[in-house]
Amino acid sequence: MWIGELRRRLNAQVLVTTAILLVVGFLVLLPVLFLVEESFNTGDPMAFPAETLGLDNYLAILDEDLHILTNTVIIAIMATAMAIAIGFTLAWILTRTNVPGRDKLERLMELPYYMTPLVGALAWSVLAGPKSGFFNQLWQWAGGRGDPFNIYSMFGIAWVMALFEGTVAFVMIAASMKSMDPALEESARVIGASKLRTTLTVTLPLVLPGVLGATLFVFAEMLGSFAAALVIGIPGRIYVITTSIWEATLSYPPDYGRAAAMGLSLFAVMFAMVSVYRWIVQRGSYATITGKAYRPRPMDMGRLAWLLFGVCATYIFLAVVLPLAALILTSLQRFATVLLDQAQFTLANYATALSLGPVRTALFNSLLLGLGVASVGVLVMAVLVWIIYRSQLVGRGAVEYLVMFPQAVPRMVFGLALLWAWLNMPVPLYGTLWLLALAYFTVMLPLGVRSLAGVVLQIDKSLEECARVCGAGWGYQMRTVTLPLLKPGILAAWLLIFMACVRELGASVFLMGPNAKVIAPSIVSAWASSGTELTAAMALIQTFTVVVALVILFRLTRGVTRELT
Amino acid sequence: MNASRSDARIEVSDLVVSYGEAVAVNGVSFTVGRGEHVTLLGPSGCGKTTTLRAIAGLEQPMAGSIRIDGQAMYAAGERRNVPTEQRGVSMVFQSYAVWPHMSVFDNVAYGLRVRKQSREEIARAVERALDLVQMRHLGGRPASKLSGGQQQRVALARAIAFSPTVVLFDEPLSNLDAKLRAEMRVELRELQRRLDITSVYVTHDQEEALAISDRVIVMNQGVIEQIGSPEQIYNSPRSRFVADFVGSANIIKGRLDPASSDGGLLAFEVEGGLTLRVSAPHAVRGDETEVAVRTAYIDMQARPGDNHVRGTVRQRMFHGDFVQYIVDCPCGSLIVRRPPTNLLDEGAEATLSFSPEHCVLLAA
Repeated sequence: MWIGELRRRLNAQVLVTTAILLVVGFLVLLPVLFLVEESFNTGDPMAFPAETLGLDNYLAILDEDLHILTNTVIIAIMATAMAIAIGFTLAWILTRTNVPGRDKLERLMELPYYMTPLVGALAWSVLAGPKSGFFNQLWQWAGGRGDPFNIYSMFGIAWVMALFEGTVAFVMIAASMKSMDPALEESARVIGASKLRTTLTVTLPLVLPGVLGATLFVFAEMLGSFAAALVIGIPGRIYVITTSIWEATLSYPPDYGRAAAMGLSLFAVMFAMVSVYRWIVQRGSYATITGKAYRPRPMDMGRLAWLLFGVCATYIFLAVVLPLAALILTSLQRFATVLLDQAQFTLANYATALSLGPVRTALFNSLLLGLGVASVGVLVMAVLVWIIYRSQLVGRGAVEYLVMFPQAVPRMVFGLALLWAWLNMPVPLYGTLWLLALAYFTVMLPLGVRSLAGVVLQIDKSLEECARVCGAGWGYQMRTVTLPLLKPGILAAWLLIFMACVRELGASVFLMGPNAKVIAPSIVSAWASSGTELTAAMALIQTFTVVVALVILFRLTRGVTRELT
Repeated sequence: MNASRSDARIEVSDLVVSYGEAVAVNGVSFTVGRGEHVTLLGPSGCGKTTTLRAIAGLEQPMAGSIRIDGQAMYAAGERRNVPTEQRGVSMVFQSYAVWPHMSVFDNVAYGLRVRKQSREEIARAVERALDLVQMRHLGGRPASKLSGGQQQRVALARAIAFSPTVVLFDEPLSNLDAKLRAEMRVELRELQRRLDITSVYVTHDQEEALAISDRVIVMNQGVIEQIGSPEQIYNSPRSRFVADFVGSANIIKGRLDPASSDGGLLAFEVEGGLTLRVSAPHAVRGDETEVAVRTAYIDMQARPGDNHVRGTVRQRMFHGDFVQYIVDCPCGSLIVRRPPTNLLDEGAEATLSFSPEHCVLLAA
């Protein structure tokens, strides 16, 4: 009797859910617990478990590293202000005015995302570095004295962050502007309000929650941003919290306790900010967010439209064209100069980059990891998405929460956590590609699950139900209806994950071993140890490889991608 | 009136469906006879769609049973719940659910392919189904390139292609514009007769329900208010809800006078010292306080044998197909709809006249 009852309870679904909860919990929560333990370790930082526990690591932050905290906050505030200014201006121009070429411009706004902050930071240090930076070269060539341009400053870090985070702000603010029913504004106009009055009393209050949300979100991102602070901050001796964490692990002996305390503090602050952001989005959005996208009637700007076009073009120029041009020019010379009559053109940098064993393996490893993690990951994530959003399993809420958790942890703190966890686990995974694969999969979980969920939720449930009513079993329905409909979404998620893996930096810097190098941290170390010219070549090779990989993939799956675009 | 047990195709008894705390369907029982076309009618949230989905096996009921051709599809007592795909019913969805990644032909052929029919059989059956909905010329077209009306036809063809005996319709016409809806209504009725299918149809449109059904089941808040032929539902509403929801009716308040009832008719005292003679289509309890009179059944000329009420025309609205008057009477304001001939002016005196059998006592 009771065996039958037990069996009924322990059916396959419950087992599957429990297994998933355990595996995901192991991947997601365990490293963080290791990190928490280490942050209270006041004895030998390499000892595990800790010999003595205390708050010293946290107190030390306030004691010795206060200037780092102020740096971090000042830079984040400057960068956020600039990014929101950029994002708001662009969003307003591209959604509410009749700027020429609006649709094309809107698509171009994606480009800074593909550039990545790392490549952008490298390019801008070539452009505006002190002394030999291109801007200073031009200044002196034009007869100016001294070298007025110096990107290695707090403002410089903030500038590069803002340039590349601006596109995130743009997407978020544009979404809130697009989701506003134009009838809300039109009814104000009909009642007799002027354009300006409508803007002040209707448009702005309705858009404000969106802008506020974007500000918080971007600010949190800025606090945890690593690439720009590393490339530009280290030469300028300006440390922020992320670079200090990194430094702490590089010292001898590595001060993991200190790094863990800083990492967890950063996590706590970011977590709080993202929570507030969620809260604002959920309650402050009024009725403007109906899930529907409207195409608001654009305002006729007359001749001003061309000026606005110029604003958008300037952004693309500063964030994409100029950096790329600078990197290409640099990579093709023996000594980087912008004065073409002094240039000595050469392909030697590419030859060196490609002939260096470590670079080649790093690039190969990154592509391999991207392919592997994206392919296996997408399948696992598709199952997770189905469980979370379409099944009736108990505990699917817990699965969702766990899966989304890595989003709240700054990438590099998570990398640190994984480092500490796997240094101390009896499985010799540290220093291998397997650990990197595991780390990538875990940090990509929220990205992949969210983009897949978007597709799953878009598929009308009755499309599946209809297949069942027609007599199809679950398997047949999945094969003939659900999966074909999901195909474009799965492919898009695959591409996202692949790209994110190949450019991953934050977690990789901690987990890369001498025999398991990946490309982004290799570029950073080349930047630190060899010349700008070689680094530029490597950055371009990375960018180019990703582009080629994507083009090949698009070719292979042409039929499917057509539905995508 | 109800189909006898032996030729009932669908039997639903004491069905209960709830979502967490909310009870969507609360003890619904009815039968659908072989070849019969039954409509579940009611406002949104009344449980009609949930009932339909439970028959299809798309909702899990809490209690009761559902039988199709005598076979238990769901039976709470036997812990039995046949999965959707094994129930052999077919369904047309409100959103059409036409698969956008397939051609029209593939959509319609789906049920046949699931049933592993031969290539020739499939081709023949799809052609026949597309013929029936006049879509044969569009067989090769991708389903994503169809208009709303065309999608609706494809959904219909797909639902009947594999010759199911039971077809369920979930508000299939609600997304079409008024003109197309009227056209499709005629076609649906035609199709249903020609194919001899048993169908259960869900709608919130009372006109549609009356026009295309053999029997109508009016639902409200998870329970059945009344079951009957369209004429019964319209002429003899049992409750105030049915009188209000189906067609337009005047509700007159008063009380029964058991002393002066004669023959089959009852005496009903209303305000203003009037006594109306009313009929009761159901068992009388004695404490009923409302009668319903359809706005279309009130004449403005006195007819012998009728109830007569004098009043003043307060408002006249010209609707084209009819004229609507609001007439102030001692028993309250009555709405009257007459053909647009012999117009009365606002302020005119009128004698309203309606026969006792159209004056229906509502259940308390």
